[in-house]
Amino acid sequence: MSHRGMDDDDDEYEEEEEQVADFDEEPEEEEEDDDRRGRGGSGGRGGRKRRRSGFIDDDAEEVDEDEDDDDDEDFDGRGGARRRQYKKVSASNFFDEEAVVDSDEEEEEEEGEDDFIVEGGADLPEEDDGRRMRNSRMLPHHQEDHEDLEAVARSIQERYGRRLAEYDEETTDVEQQALLPSVRDPKLWMVKCAIGRERETAVCLMQKYIDRGSELQIRSVIALDHLKNYIYVEADKEAHVREACKNLRNIFGQKITLVPIREMTDVLSVESKAIDLARDTWVRMKIGTYKGDLAKVVDVDNVRQRVTVKLIPRIDLQALANKLEGREVVKKKAFVPPPRFMNVDEARELHIRVEHRRDAYGERFDAIGGMMFKDGFLYKTVSIKSISAQNIKPTFDELEKFRKPGESGDGDVASLSTLFANRKKGHFMKGDAVIVVKGDLKNLKGKVEKVDEDNVHIRPEMEGLPKTIAVNEKELCKYFEPGNHVKVVSGAQEGATGMVVKVEQHVLILISDTTKEHIRVFADDVVESSEVTTGVTRIGDYELRDLVLLDNMSFGVIIRVESEAFQVLKGIPDRPEAVLVKLREIKCKIEKKISVQDRFKNTVSSKDVVRIIDGPCKGKQGPVEHIYRGILFIFDRHHLEHAGFICAKAQSCVVVGGSRSNGDRNGNAYSRFASLRNSSCIPPSPRRFSRGGPNDSGGRHRGRGGRGDGLAGTTVKVRQGPYKGYRGRVIEDKGSSVRVELESQMKVVTVDRNHISDNVAVTPHRDTSRYGMGSETPMHPSRTPLHPYMTPMRDPGATPIHDGMRTPMRDRAWNPYTPMSPPRDNWEDGNPGSWGTSPQYQPGSPPSRPYEAPTPGAGWANTPSGNYSEAGTPRDNSAYANAPSPYLPSTPGGQPMTPSSASYLPGTPGGQPMTPGTGGMDMMSPVLGGDHEGPWFMPDILVNVHRAGDESIGVIREVLPDGSYKIGLGSSGNGETITALPNEMEAVVPRKSDKIKIMGGALRGATGKLIGVDGTDGIVKVDDTLDVKILDLVILAKLAQP
Amino acid sequence: MFFHIVLERNMQLHPRYFGRNLRENLVSKLMKDVEGTCSGRHGFVVAVTGIENIGKGLIRDGTGFVTFPVKYQCVVFRPFKGEILEAVVTMVNKMGFFAEAGPVQIFVSNHLIPDDMEFQSGDMPNYTTSDGSVKIQKDSEVRLKIIGTRVDATEIFCIGTIKDDFLGVINDPATV
Repeated sequence: MSHRGMDDDDDEYEEEEEQVADFDEEPEEEEEDDDRRGRGGSGGRGGRKRRRSGFIDDDAEEVDEDEDDDDDEDFDGRGGARRRQYKKVSASNFFDEEAVVDSDEEEEEEEGEDDFIVEGGADLPEEDDGRRMRNSRMLPHHQEDHEDLEAVARSIQERYGRRLAEYDEETTDVEQQALLPSVRDPKLWMVKCAIGRERETAVCLMQKYIDRGSELQIRSVIALDHLKNYIYVEADKEAHVREACKNLRNIFGQKITLVPIREMTDVLSVESKAIDLARDTWVRMKIGTYKGDLAKVVDVDNVRQRVTVKLIPRIDLQALANKLEGREVVKKKAFVPPPRFMNVDEARELHIRVEHRRDAYGERFDAIGGMMFKDGFLYKTVSIKSISAQNIKPTFDELEKFRKPGESGDGDVASLSTLFANRKKGHFMKGDAVIVVKGDLKNLKGKVEKVDEDNVHIRPEMEGLPKTIAVNEKELCKYFEPGNHVKVVSGAQEGATGMVVKVEQHVLILISDTTKEHIRVFADDVVESSEVTTGVTRIGDYELRDLVLLDNMSFGVIIRVESEAFQVLKGIPDRPEAVLVKLREIKCKIEKKISVQDRFKNTVSSKDVVRIIDGPCKGKQGPVEHIYRGILFIFDRHHLEHAGFICAKAQSCVVVGGSRSNGDRNGNAYSRFASLRNSSCIPPSPRRFSRGGPNDSGGRHRGRGGRGDGLAGTTVKVRQGPYKGYRGRVIEDKGSSVRVELESQMKVVTVDRNHISDNVAVTPHRDTSRYGMGSETPMHPSRTPLHPYMTPMRDPGATPIHDGMRTPMRDRAWNPYTPMSPPRDNWEDGNPGSWGTSPQYQPGSPPSRPYEAPTPGAGWANTPSGNYSEAGTPRDNSAYANAPSPYLPSTPGGQPMTPSSASYLPGTPGGQPMTPGTGGMDMMSPVLGGDHEGPWFMPDILVNVHRAGDESIGVIREVLPDGSYKIGLGSSGNGETITALPNEMEAVVPRKSDKIKIMGGALRGATGKLIGVDGTDGIVKVDDTLDVKILDLVILAKLAQP
Repeated sequence: MFFHIVLERNMQLHPRYFGRNLRENLVSKLMKDVEGTCSGRHGFVVAVTGIENIGKGLIRDGTGFVTFPVKYQCVVFRPFKGEILEAVVTMVNKMGFFAEAGPVQIFVSNHLIPDDMEFQSGDMPNYTTSDGSVKIQKDSEVRLKIIGTRVDATEIFCIGTIKDDFLGVINDPATV
């Protein structure tokens, strides 16, 4: 061996190097074979060898190893040019010169491997690399020494002959034990180095050793591929290690840890994973053109460690033809031909020679240029190492392809073995329905009774069999029947639920609950379940059904969440366009709460049920999920495309059923309320409206709240988060969060407890007044001429209750009384008779006549509005308008549709009706309110008067007894004096530091200064008392400058 | 399957309905409330057929609402696994077709349609046998067997099959 003749330093290092422990291999032979090597040589070599294969990338060209090459080790060195070779040679000393000879020929693709950790076996193909390198370097010497060939051969024979024999002997435990490091052996130190520089560091140390020789007293350096940030140094003393590591740029921390003796072996022991390759196993290629491709094992040669796999060829026929014909082939590395079945005829057309061959088993193959094809598949023999058999989860597409030529379900069964390998522990559970898929009991169904390690005890369904049978887990497969409701628990569709519609062996076809689409899954991946979920419903911030703004300023609703992307239904009306959008292409979520107007100028806000009356989706109806730029996204349960979403212009829709959804009901309430507020005459309590919907539920919740959870039942205000500013009552206290029923939206949301403030002073008022509402008897069917006022009022109050309780479904499909005629509408549609004919309500007396119209009018404002608009009868509208009631202008409020003032838009959270009960009180009918509170507007406040199209500012000078106001125009009220009706004007909303007058509440009439605005509340400093009060902005009006 | 059963429900009634028509109001409210609803246990309440008994009302503190326990007879419809139903096809697509039997929606997957029936897309998507003699399209009436049900709070969804003897189209509007 070359290094043998070298200077002592080298040898010494060599010797020390050999201490590296790898105790799997026999030591004796070295001692005999080279006494200078000392003990543990083989192991040491193994260690270094591996290290080497880590150091140097395998650039070696294909060289068939033969035993002669190994001779170089022994003889080249003795030849001349020792000095010349010094460097290289000494470097090569790091590697094991005596690696076991491996006569494997490797295929091109296999060279790519540079696994640092390899099987503990003796004949590892990788280990050739080092030798190969060296060999090529040594080649000249080898030739020089040609005459020694005979001797070489003999010596090799001597060495390896014996060695091989020894391999066959079983090493006993005791012998193995003796190899373990003891206290007398050098220790292993762990040294921290730069991440990713482990190998470099080791090479540096090697170089240093070469340069400095004996000064370094370390024995070996090990860098492990799987261990980042550390290298191991073998040395007797820590000081030696420090010395060696000094001035190395990759080693900074002076932290050197001793590896305990017991753990030393672990550092270098190699886990040998027994690859259990069987025929028909699915594997994946690790390298080459087919990297990542699925392949099926057709033959295994355990002796030669080769497998024959079946692949879908990726062959560029044209390129192949060119190559075979010797034409120049343009090498395009980046291009990998797509997998395609080989068509022999096509190949022939390109003048590629196709031969027919038979293999050992007599199977016919088409051979093209050394490649074997059958049925379009490529049969390829590769090393076991170039395939991975662990955790292979073939997708359906891949399996489908493999089934291609007329293979029936049998192909699938074959893949079972792979599937089973991927099973988790506890796969089967007691009660699972299973079917035996292999062995004598094949197709036997049963229920799992007990699960042992590998065996599952099943209770067979068939009679005449023992009560329980133990079956190996691998022979079992879960079994489902059509109609079972299942949940997918692993795989690509994880999380989805659905009903089984078909069972094909171990593949199930489900109909997903949400998308109503077919899903194919393995029976192994599902469990029976009654829950209904969609699977993944969100990526990042975006969730299914969110409205999102896309890159190119278009927008749409997420209708499906896929593994990496969303399917988005774009907001293009009348032409459904679904696009696949990546996360990064989404700009943001649109969470605006806006409302638009439908064809008949009715307000549509989200959650309203609308019907599409134009365009391709004409006739569909459903609740509005999102509104953006005048486009509605409607969810129709019956619409099966795009997850039920329809995109339509607001203009081509009409609100159905009088905005029965919450937002809008409130919207109506607001706007209505606004109008009513303006009218001194229409008395309804706003509470009525606002509570109209929740009435019933409110009662229920109260009941629940009464059960005594701390916060429940109280009214709170949300301080933070998306619902900031909203008020609501707590219906459930869940510790860190509370569920709040929002007053303005009539929906229940969960809010972090820290995000609410529960000291809303309003509570008592509200409650009182709510109770009051229940007992508002005076408003009830009185026979005073005032009675008719009441009617519209109580009606709207009542209707929404029922509305709310009605399920939408019912409306659509079931309501046999679908309100068609106004009179009926107004009353309980469930019982048209009772109300309609009730004498109390019979408009018998002349005075009440005019009010007959307002009555439905009020109703119109709320529930049946949709019906009207649906029916499209403008007559009704005009009828109301023309009704000769003095109160009319205000009554029908027709107003629900007229956004009377911005602050009353349905979206505004601060919603008036909910606010201070006191304010509400003011708005009571003149019957009640008039007695003690007087009209709404007060003298000296600034108002905007809008009549006949123009708008002007003015100051209320006087309140006339008929409910109208005398107004002086101009901001100081010095201009022309006019008389205006309350609905023609609205109070000027004060700004910060304006002087204000309080129009409602206990402090009604007081003046003050607005010192701040918080959402819908104003902070007011009252002039008289200098108190600071928080009052709703709505009851504040700007005071005219005197 | 239809059942005529007695159910009980607590009805809350607003004080404004009190009076001599209280009973009528209560009944009409009950009908409005329960007809068309669906519960997993009983299925769809199709119609209230009569009142068995109205218990004593209890006035709720504060609200004045009164709770009456009402026992009523009603007809309920609940689909069962294995039940044979006649249904009207409402939609046909390549995955199968949807049919409705009253309030119940039933999906028949193409896997559960006889193999000789093929999907024909077009204006009027349909499933047709190769000889064209049988056609399933919108508004066809089919007899099917329910093989699975899923019960939500508000609806029952079923999966049906027509891949069995005596199942399939019973009345085709196109031929009538």
